[in-house]
Amino acid sequence: MPRRKPGTLLPLETEILEVALSMLRTGRQSFHGFGIAQFMREQRGSSSLTSHGTLYKALGRLEEFGLLTSRWEDVAAAEGRPRRRLYELTRRGAQAAEHARAAGTAPAPARLPRIAPEPT
Amino acid sequence: MTPERIAALVARWVRLYTRGVPTPIAQRRIEEIDADLRDHLAHERTHGTGERRIALSILSRMIRGVAADAAWRGRHAGAAAGRPTAPEDAMTTHRTTYRSAVGVAVAAAFLLVWLSLGVGVIGKDGDRANLMYAGVLAVGIIGAVIARRRPHGMARALLATAAAQAVVAVIALAAGLGRPWSGPSEIVLLNGFFVALFAGSALLFRHAARSQPPRDTAAG
Repeated sequence: MPRRKPGTLLPLETEILEVALSMLRTGRQSFHGFGIAQFMREQRGSSSLTSHGTLYKALGRLEEFGLLTSRWEDVAAAEGRPRRRLYELTRRGAQAAEHARAAGTAPAPARLPRIAPEPT
Repeated sequence: MTPERIAALVARWVRLYTRGVPTPIAQRRIEEIDADLRDHLAHERTHGTGERRIALSILSRMIRGVAADAAWRGRHAGAAAGRPTAPEDAMTTHRTTYRSAVGVAVAAAFLLVWLSLGVGVIGKDGDRANLMYAGVLAVGIIGAVIARRRPHGMARALLATAAAQAVVAVIALAAGLGRPWSGPSEIVLLNGFFVALFAGSALLFRHAARSQPPRDTAAG
């Protein structure tokens, strides 16, 4: 994973926000880890899914930055399988995704808005 | 190598690197990956993907994420332990890094024994080519004995172990061992994973050696 410039998002984080925005526009308000990995694979036309470590680290960072929120799926909805963590775009997250989309299809961190706090 | 076995391996790996991380954070990561693995298996089977391909896909996701896992662990376990400030804390840092290095090396050795004897890294269960991994472990054990647990020596011992692991992979690929059960990509991925673990442990030992306080400071 490339190094983060202070106050910017990494390309994967931007990609997650953009994909989450696309899902939101098709009526899917929340998404889970594997779901978004699969959606990104389809959009990239790639054969491989984002690795576990990279994906969940990025989702955690986006939540820390206030761009995503998350909650556990209801146990009843899980129907016996492991319950999923469901993520949703926040208003700020949607704005960041819009901004990134307007800035270009492959945004570089330097071109992104200063939306992320300094890494701790 | 069934997808379920590889999923179980990933689940064990997650439980290993979340040790020492505050329970709510660790539990969340464990449950998220468990759900992800289940969803991954179900999705691929629904789409008619072959069993071997599913297994390799899961394994590949784990291996590619090891560096991010280590960084995540370092951040959360470090935050739980607090930041070192004084010379005494340099000793604490040294000890923590040294213990992490030992943990990674021991975990890698156990995983290697379990995979080579129980599942078969090369070929199917019971393939004699897997006996070569006894040599890999022997390099590590002999190296540790010679190093007498000193961090510089341990770093060299673990690098030698990583090199031995790579040599086994090269031999298996060159001699076509384990065919048709283990293809070249599977051999490269599995052995690459262990090379990464042993090399990672060597790096941690090197860090431990660098963070070791001078003897008079440590004693005083």
